[in-house]
Amino acid sequence: MRLVHYVNQFYAGLGGEDAADLGPRVLAGATGPGRLLQQLLGADHQIVATVVCGDNYAASDPSVSAELLGMARAEGAELLIAGPAFGSGRYGLVCARLVAAAQAAGLPAVASMHPDNPGIGEAGAAPVVAAGAVARQMRPTLERLAAAVAKLATGAPLTAADGRVGAAARIGRLVEDRAAKRAVELVVARLAGDRDATEVPVGGFDVVVPAAPVDKAAAAAVALVTEGAVVPFGNPDRLESARATRWLRYPIEGLDGLASGTWESVAGGFATTHANADPNRLLPLDATRELEREGAIGRLHGEFFSTVGNGTTVATAKRFGVEWAAALRKAGVQAAILTAT
Amino acid sequence: MTALRRVVHEVHSVEFGPATGYHEHHLTVGREQVESLFADPALGAVRPRLASPGESIRIITPLDVVEPRSKGRGGGVFPGFLAPVNRKRGLDTHVLRGAAVLAAGYLPRNQEGLIDMSGPAAQLSPFSRTHNVVIEFDPAEGAPLLEAEQAVRRGLLRLAVALADAAVGSAPDAVEELAAPHRPGTPTGGLPRVGVITNLQTQGAFKDVFVYGASMAGSLPTLFDPAEIEDGAVVAGQYGHPALRNPTYLHQNHPVIAELRARDGHDLHFAGVVLCPEPVEQAGKEHVSAHAAWLCQAAGFDAAIVTKEGAGNADNDLGMKVDALEAAGLTAVALYAEMSGPDGTGPPLVAGPRRGAVVSTGNYDQRLTLPAVERALGGTRLRIIDAEATAAIEVPVAMILGGLSPLGAGRLTCRAEPPAVDLEEVA
Amino acid sequence: MVTNLVTIAEQVGAPRIVAGRGIQYPSGDPNLSPQAEHEWRRRLVKRALAAVATHVDKPTIFTVDAEEDADA
Repeated sequence: MRLVHYVNQFYAGLGGEDAADLGPRVLAGATGPGRLLQQLLGADHQIVATVVCGDNYAASDPSVSAELLGMARAEGAELLIAGPAFGSGRYGLVCARLVAAAQAAGLPAVASMHPDNPGIGEAGAAPVVAAGAVARQMRPTLERLAAAVAKLATGAPLTAADGRVGAAARIGRLVEDRAAKRAVELVVARLAGDRDATEVPVGGFDVVVPAAPVDKAAAAAVALVTEGAVVPFGNPDRLESARATRWLRYPIEGLDGLASGTWESVAGGFATTHANADPNRLLPLDATRELEREGAIGRLHGEFFSTVGNGTTVATAKRFGVEWAAALRKAGVQAAILTAT
Repeated sequence: MTALRRVVHEVHSVEFGPATGYHEHHLTVGREQVESLFADPALGAVRPRLASPGESIRIITPLDVVEPRSKGRGGGVFPGFLAPVNRKRGLDTHVLRGAAVLAAGYLPRNQEGLIDMSGPAAQLSPFSRTHNVVIEFDPAEGAPLLEAEQAVRRGLLRLAVALADAAVGSAPDAVEELAAPHRPGTPTGGLPRVGVITNLQTQGAFKDVFVYGASMAGSLPTLFDPAEIEDGAVVAGQYGHPALRNPTYLHQNHPVIAELRARDGHDLHFAGVVLCPEPVEQAGKEHVSAHAAWLCQAAGFDAAIVTKEGAGNADNDLGMKVDALEAAGLTAVALYAEMSGPDGTGPPLVAGPRRGAVVSTGNYDQRLTLPAVERALGGTRLRIIDAEATAAIEVPVAMILGGLSPLGAGRLTCRAEPPAVDLEEVA
Repeated sequence: MVTNLVTIAEQVGAPRIVAGRGIQYPSGDPNLSPQAEHEWRRRLVKRALAAVATHVDKPTIFTVDAEEDADA
């Protein structure tokens, strides 16, 4: 099979964070980890080209996956491989989107990343096989990936035995007993000693690796971001009040605060009277601008990002977080203050 | 000892007529009576409509739903609104089972919902199975919307009583005797004492729930007489998430209380009901959860089932109560809706408890494809999805009124389906 | 993250959490006079800046008390 491999700027040897804004390009044959992958695949399959893109460029715009897919197809791809992204959020997000787009277009594809990669949810129904957490685990990761590619090339679906990961889908079903009855049954079972019985797993808490602290706040570029749905009065760009599918960005250069009547919150999950009386209660622009003048921070970033948290899926929120981080890093911002309602 | 007797009159069909009447399961709704019960300076036009199960009708922007009930000539249902709280309470409450009165129309903070009387969504709302008297309304020109809302509520409650009154003289289809909860300190025969904690959303205008006519905001949790809940002591003025709010009808027919009663004396004792507000800030939530756990313990509960109202914010109260109960040595089970995204692969609970057990009432984000319908009531356009109300539409379960019933009225749950398994491995 | 619901923030693993006073106003407090509210908001932002300059290993809550000076 003719394979095309997608890697980010770092694994293509084009640079690190400094090269994260590079646009898409194609390199002939296998590059970076693709070389070992090719070796493991043997003679049956050929990595004919490697598509590369900078993480910031690719992660901050969902339409880039279509572009990348187009480039892979132009190289005659019969199967697309993306990653391994390990734990890198931006890289993982791009890989997941790319294989989802490929699958939707009828091109077999597989991504490789750690099961906890924040981007994994974007793969949807396209297969993702588990990578280790860090690049040190490259060899066993590529061995698994090569086996998965070989299997996929025969037309067989990938399963958990192949290292396939991605959350099990929880599908809504109508059952015979109403929830109240099931609750009583569950309580009786637990009182009788069955401490494992539950319909939904309990107690799982997320782990987020903390970013390193900034050296000095007084020198830092800081951005304000919010999920309180702060928008210009009248909501001209029609941000949803619940179940966000997008986020918006608005310039605040030269603004000393958010004036009531000029800005508002369209969040649906709570009463917005207090926030609309003083939008700085949702996005603390007035105080932050003062502190910027007083030298408490280096500079306040010239725009804020806004979306609504109410009813928004975790997968979407994770994606927005990765996109916000990419966009802010691109702009040289070192820290963000996120107000959450 | 019987605390209340439900005298059940079934409704199998409904129509409008010159006067309200009930005869052999057929309910006639008097148009003039409806007009006079909704006459109020805050209301302009009031248009009563009917929607029965199986019809090709979609009710959009439904507001509160009330079951017709009456205590006959002495009155006594809806204490705090239509009756004084300290009243002489007869044992009999007449119920028009299979009928409902509801309002539909625009109010602020109402997240648009719908009820389909037929089709795929009909299995997901309890109100697809009731013969509905739907009151469309316009506020009077210049009237504050809060006053219009209060007028609509008064009208609904009065109409509910008036319709049930029509059946009071008829031979009932069933008489259901409801016992008082098991008294603490009396013999248990070794059976556990299980109660229910019901959290009420109390966020002010258009997002409030009333107990004896007053918002529960700022209250401490309290033990409450389930017979009073049967008689309409809890009335909903909360129009947030359609799938995750509890209309008055579902308090009157509280599913968890019903299921506990069904097993009362068999493998448990129904120990009672605790009502709680849902504070909107952390300190209040901690305070209410701690007090609720203490109260259940003091009342001698061995276990509690906890229900909520609302979405993510309410989940926080739910999780905190379960954790507080379990820490106090009580067994706790909560009813949660999952929010795992349209494909069901997101984490099911964001604000779940650390311990205890959870029943799923379905996935908020699951998509439904609904066919076009012949008629829509309540409005002509669904603004939230920018579509004609009668059109074929794709909506999340979140939009179906009662679709994820936090009180447990629905039959939805979620089952995990693992990634495809190799056929060879199964063999 | 600036929020009133610190329990949820901990559950989702937010490493640096600054406690606000109400869901509806994470960076405000309408119960205070406008002057006092502005002062409180300044202290909140200073606390947030202190948080991003602090090393943390796990979800950590930073509080803004009425009297304390967040710079200290």
